[in-house]
Amino acid sequence: MNRITRHFRGKGMKMQDLRSWLIMLPGLILMTFFVWEPLLESIRMSLYKTENVELVEFVGLKNFISVAGKTNFTQALVNTFSYTFWSLVIGFLLPIILAMLIGETSRGKGLFRTAAYLPNMLPGLAVIILWSAFFSGGKTGVLNIILSHFGVSAQTYLTKANLVIPIIITIATWKGAGATALIYMAGMAGVNSELYDAAAIDGANVWQRVRHVLVPAIKKLTWTMLILQIISVFQIMYEPMVLTKGGPDNASLSLMQLMWQYAFGGSMDYGKASAVAVIVTAILLVMTAVYSYFNRKESDWD
Amino acid sequence: MRKKMRQRTGVIREYDMHSVSVRVWYAVIYALCIVMGIIAVFPLIWVVLAGFKDLKEFMSSTSLLPKSFSPEQFKKTWSQLGLAKNYLNSFISVAGSVVCALLFNGLLGYGLSILKPKGCGIVKKLVMLSLLVPATISIVPLFMNIQRLGMGNSFLPLWLSYGANAMYVVLFIQFFESLPVSMIEASRIDGCSALQTFFRIVLPLSKPICAVITIFAVNAAWSDFLLPYLVLRGGQLQTVMVRLFVFSTEQTVNADTMMRSVVFSMIPPIILFILFQKQLTENNVSVGIKG
Repeated sequence: MNRITRHFRGKGMKMQDLRSWLIMLPGLILMTFFVWEPLLESIRMSLYKTENVELVEFVGLKNFISVAGKTNFTQALVNTFSYTFWSLVIGFLLPIILAMLIGETSRGKGLFRTAAYLPNMLPGLAVIILWSAFFSGGKTGVLNIILSHFGVSAQTYLTKANLVIPIIITIATWKGAGATALIYMAGMAGVNSELYDAAAIDGANVWQRVRHVLVPAIKKLTWTMLILQIISVFQIMYEPMVLTKGGPDNASLSLMQLMWQYAFGGSMDYGKASAVAVIVTAILLVMTAVYSYFNRKESDWD
Repeated sequence: MRKKMRQRTGVIREYDMHSVSVRVWYAVIYALCIVMGIIAVFPLIWVVLAGFKDLKEFMSSTSLLPKSFSPEQFKKTWSQLGLAKNYLNSFISVAGSVVCALLFNGLLGYGLSILKPKGCGIVKKLVMLSLLVPATISIVPLFMNIQRLGMGNSFLPLWLSYGANAMYVVLFIQFFESLPVSMIEASRIDGCSALQTFFRIVLPLSKPICAVITIFAVNAAWSDFLLPYLVLRGGQLQTVMVRLFVFSTEQTVNADTMMRSVVFSMIPPIILFILFQKQLTENNVSVGIKG
């Protein structure tokens, strides 16, 4: 029993425990209502036929079969993995590089940090709408205006099936990379700069110091950030919803967006929406399990 | 001399600067940082500039600069769309969310880190696990629960949803565990109940973490639009973000008005950022990282 608890003992331990639980009760009720119960409820709902907010009839796996049988599901599944792939290509190393660059500056460091973090503070919805003007086709699109100064004629962007996912990821990276870079900077700040001096005395040049001192120091953090990024990109939803409505021709439709469409896109098919949510959760669980398996192996080697 | 030593904490040391190639690289690093800064800030400057254009200019001009800098267009959009009301709604929504975020997550964190009643270990594990669970994934059943309880078209579910944030609870737990035990013991000896101790001793000692969570919650509650849209759509209580979301999905406003609405929606977060940039860029990352 811990020291503080002992001091709070009033009329015997049980009474005190009860009081403590009472203090936590409001928070627990809210966690149950907003987080825990909905999670379990979505599993239950995925097995029912729903009408408005009522569960009408137990249908077993029918919702899953019906959802997975449609071509838009396969497309959304492929797209979601494509989002994840592109986010790792475009957005994974960038924050690390930014952190290294900003970390080396002396004068103006605060300014660079501020600039890097700024996009992260802006409302996500506003950011998407703002960038839609950048990538709009025609000669008044901002990117086209900029390109026209270099003699490139006006292009379309968001209507090209092979470009739309990388573009959405670029926007998400613009918003998030700076904030992630600051997390890496905090990790890098954990390296005592005397270590660099020690390495230098041993004859290590700048590159060798980066490779053998700085990189190992943030290795563990990098692994954590990897899984966090995968988990968050896998749930991408409002970005394509607002920017392209999943188009052109479902080329940017994500799984979570499909869930939203089933539930709130007019048909109010909450059962099928929950089936999609359960599938997404299952995939995320598998990915997290694979990650922790490799992570454990990794730390065994250390 | 001392100042210089304090400044250089990176891999490149003072003595490296004697080498020409390192100096060139150093210049390249600065150039890249400046480019990064421009890329980060340019879209923001552009959207403000675009806001000065009327529809005709917005749809035809290929210049990034507007013809005139009169605030007329902004005033027009503000009054036409009646954004003052949405602003007020947003502020009410944010204020309630912050109170709930501090109070309920704080009390739960207090219970799990200081009081530690029998059996609280399992709750702590559940909270930790909830960190991994995405919020939007259960938005459908959550929305149905809110409907069933007849809480649609009200701020109440939105406020309370901020009282159930696993991330904030974990941040509170981490901070409370670092508090000096002696202070809490002393308050107990002085005859404070557990609840009094929380409000008189623990909370006043926890100003830094309360500040961080307040900033997080203000920004999150201001920017949130998915659950607010579902709860408030069609009603009188729509927030700025809900309006913006409706504009974007229903395309009921012109492109130029849209850009001005974007500017309006960004003003409070930017003010918040200017006021608290030091805490945001230096403080929170080190706490956020552990969570």
